[in-house]
Amino acid sequence: MAPEGRRIGDTFADDSDSDVSIFDHDDATRAKNKGKGKAIDRRKKDKGKGKAKEQPYAWEASYTRSWDTVQEDEAGSLQGAVQDLIARGRRRRLQAPAAAIRRTIIRHLVLVLDLSSAMMDRDMRPTRFDLMLQYAREFITEWFDQNPLGQIGVVGMRGGLGERIGEMSGNPQDVLKSISERHKLEPNGEPSLQNAIEMARSSMSHLPTHSSREILVIFGSLTTCDPGNIHDTLDECVKDRIRISIVALAAEMKICRELCEKTGGQFGVAMNEGHFKDLLFELIPPPAQRAVTRANGGPAANPAADLMIMGFPMRLPDTSPPSLCVCHSQMKSEGFLCPRCLAKVCDVPTDCDICGLMIVSSPHLARSYHHLFPVKPYQAVMTLEDPSNSSKRCHGCSVAFRNTPSTMTGASGEGFSPLGRYRCPECKNDFCTDCDVFVHDVVHCCPGCGK
Amino acid sequence: MDKPSHLSVILDLSPTQWALCAQSTNPPGISLQAFLSQLLAFFNAHIACKDENTLAVFGALPGQSVLLYSSTGEVVAKDTEPTDPNTYRPFKTLDATVMNSLAEHIASFDGVSEEAPIGLVGCLTKALCYINRVTSNSSTPSSEGEGSAASVDPRILVLSVSPDQSSTYIPIMNSIFSAQKLRVTIDVCKIYGAENVFLQQAAHLTGGAYVQVEKPDALLQYMMMSFLPPPALRQLISVPTQDRVDFRAACFCHKRIVEIGFVCSVCLSIFCQPVPVCSTCRTKFPIKTLQRLNASRPLAISASTPGTPARPPAQRNGTATPATPRPG
Repeated sequence: MAPEGRRIGDTFADDSDSDVSIFDHDDATRAKNKGKGKAIDRRKKDKGKGKAKEQPYAWEASYTRSWDTVQEDEAGSLQGAVQDLIARGRRRRLQAPAAAIRRTIIRHLVLVLDLSSAMMDRDMRPTRFDLMLQYAREFITEWFDQNPLGQIGVVGMRGGLGERIGEMSGNPQDVLKSISERHKLEPNGEPSLQNAIEMARSSMSHLPTHSSREILVIFGSLTTCDPGNIHDTLDECVKDRIRISIVALAAEMKICRELCEKTGGQFGVAMNEGHFKDLLFELIPPPAQRAVTRANGGPAANPAADLMIMGFPMRLPDTSPPSLCVCHSQMKSEGFLCPRCLAKVCDVPTDCDICGLMIVSSPHLARSYHHLFPVKPYQAVMTLEDPSNSSKRCHGCSVAFRNTPSTMTGASGEGFSPLGRYRCPECKNDFCTDCDVFVHDVVHCCPGCGK
Repeated sequence: MDKPSHLSVILDLSPTQWALCAQSTNPPGISLQAFLSQLLAFFNAHIACKDENTLAVFGALPGQSVLLYSSTGEVVAKDTEPTDPNTYRPFKTLDATVMNSLAEHIASFDGVSEEAPIGLVGCLTKALCYINRVTSNSSTPSSEGEGSAASVDPRILVLSVSPDQSSTYIPIMNSIFSAQKLRVTIDVCKIYGAENVFLQQAAHLTGGAYVQVEKPDALLQYMMMSFLPPPALRQLISVPTQDRVDFRAACFCHKRIVEIGFVCSVCLSIFCQPVPVCSTCRTKFPIKTLQRLNASRPLAISASTPGTPARPPAQRNGTATPATPRPG
């Protein structure tokens, strides 16, 4: 039960960096999707505090001394130092290797929310519960943005029971609506991990093999109140290839860690508000598919690969005569027609309510392509061999590069360019820090080579 | 409603297409000169609408993409001409800069490189990078004051004369999705040539307008009526929208338009019939699935009827050649 802040499997290579060790830079699943606004915002919260190497736990943080970590430059200005810090933090997130890994595109996730009385603790402000709801909303929005073909269901743990809050759905609005009413989710009683996981498992039992099954538990309590042996549940999950990830808000529990380790998920204990969000958002990019080599089947052709049948619907124009839709029974003129049974559905992607055909539009498929063809990471330019030959402006946004290297001590290394230049290995064009992050996080297409 | 707006204009400057356009009589065409003079009038109108309005002009030339003008002054023309007392000075600098940099870039080409496809993707991504910079810069100071996240209203206008290049499908789609994320509206004005399916999707997905110009002589009027008002005003005035946007896809194997397709779960390639091995990523599919799908297939067999107009080919770079998007 020792509190332990780092994630399992985290390889924390350097401890040298004091101010931003929350940005762990370990693995391929590194969240590449955080807006930079957040990075700045987080930094404000987390920076400083006397301890050199450790981030403060939320309950220990009484004050922050953000001024400790920045140094003035010769002119007595802080702006350069602050900008460097920001640039470095952002850059760090891009260090993940862009190796070709197979990722699961079609994901199914059950979000398990702890609604026990432990969630009313105020160590995370305003309360754990409110913070969880807020982050869960952001998580769902971002998750659907990155996994357009995925589906999310929501289960709550309250009063020793598992409680179905939202059915599995591919529509972000439906999922968000299910957790929008705060008063219906008011925490009380004890949580039950086993009940909730069993409920989540049963709701995913019908899924085809090629889709991933995941459970994400946000767990604030230090106890679980189970009707049976939770290890049996764990074994069942391993058998069903359900990946369980847990973000704990209080402290590490052995059973939580075991659940994650055995099923191949991630386990983390949130130290403070920013870290909580980080742990959560790390789970957004599609997980790299594990090479499934089970002892029984031998070297079977990857069982996760499959051929799926999908329908590409026709969108009805707004001017078509209104008719009832099969999903909400509402009178509408716009909608999509299922190509197999001609039922009218409101939104895609979805499974047809009548014939069960998976209905997608081609942009939805295209939205997932960038996971398969990522942009190569840009290399930081350390020195300019030939200043006259290189371009003076960023190839993306045409901002002028600075001429003199940054004066930040220890700024080099970690893939951080003192000149603020990052070069595409393909087209040899230089980009500024902003564009570097923007191209890799958002556009997924290099402006120079168009790939 | 009262926010200043930023407009990034992407000019398709394919020499071949412009030559064809200038010669064309049925449908009537327009020469590059006439086009540019109308365009400059539109730019001036945009700048004149509001003092804080900004503009960036990108040129998609064969094989490259260049910034021709921007309000933040990355491109400056040597101002040799004497000032004209009859012209508003910002208009004059704008016109001179655009024309000078255009002339510079066009002069730098020789006939050889004309075969390269135009750098539309480069322009789109550059425009997005530029907008990203403009919006993130402007939001920092305002965060103290008014607290409004985006203080400019960015949009992109693509003036296109070239047909679709199927190899750019994925990058264009990626640009569209990032435009959605940045809340950038993409408007498309097709001056010459066949319908451009990718750009149609771009306009549809970002809530912009797709306008096919029928009388290029009246281009300025089209642009003034459809593209001058910022997106916030679009709800109040009636801008041409698309009725029918097709989300059907073409299969990778026969380029047939399919309503029900078979999709590889690994790389999302689309096939019109069950195949044992994915042609793109070489994944083998289990026999059981094939049997099951084959059994259910008679339902899907008549998916494509001859004579259906071509639809957006959802294919990936290098895997296949395009299904031509409607002969023009």
